[in-house]
Amino acid sequence: MILEILSIGLLVSACLALFLDDVVYSVAALSGTFLFTALLYYVNGAIYAAIFQFVVGVGTLAILFLSGEMLSDKSTKKTSPKKLSALIGVGVVLSLPAIFLSISSSKGAYSAASFGDALWSLSGVDVILQALVILTVALGIAIILYERRNGGK
Amino acid sequence: MDFFILSIVMMGIGIYGLLTNRQLLKVFISIELIATAATLNFVMLASSMSQGLGQAFLMLAFSTDTAVSGVVLALLVIVTKKYGTSNINEILTKQEEKEIEAEEYGD
Repeated sequence: MILEILSIGLLVSACLALFLDDVVYSVAALSGTFLFTALLYYVNGAIYAAIFQFVVGVGTLAILFLSGEMLSDKSTKKTSPKKLSALIGVGVVLSLPAIFLSISSSKGAYSAASFGDALWSLSGVDVILQALVILTVALGIAIILYERRNGGK
Repeated sequence: MDFFILSIVMMGIGIYGLLTNRQLLKVFISIELIATAATLNFVMLASSMSQGLGQAFLMLAFSTDTAVSGVVLALLVIVTKKYGTSNINEILTKQEEKEIEAEEYGD
């Protein structure tokens, strides 16, 4: 039962995040999407994935709130209650196939190989270090672009 | 309860938003939703097959996703400050106007 509720919440918040008029409300709905995803991971036994999703989601949302406040037009109109209820209805309807249809039987199970084994024995550390390198390069590119933009004035 | 269908539907919502929204930040949110749908499918499949490696690889997906988010947000801020709007259509119109002006001055 709880999985069905979480999947409905996930899709409803995803619809709200995309189609609400105000950007700040969209980001708030996106936080719900991240939260429901983390809860789905937790319920299915992927505890580390849930924690990581939650932490990364919080960081992303903080930046999105700031940039949403910077980039959004102040004259955006409010979403009408009719549109809001329509979006929630669409989200509920879209979640019905996932609840009632089934392609394969997927039941939650705790991992046989532990997280530590996967991290240390199966090259998980290499993957994380590569991700750190990519993150550093991306941040460097962003800083260079920003400086070039400021220097071009 | 089938997570494969759930992630497919979520990805469909993201792609629909990507195609229909004209605000840059909404486009970015659509990309986030698509990435979340992909990782959801990945983790649920790994969890159902009792593979702990799925959670370790998830960190790669999240890290690259966060890096992409940083670059995209920096570009969004730069483009919005340059053109004064975050609407894609208006940005394209202003860009075309600039090109036409440049051609006229060039002639």
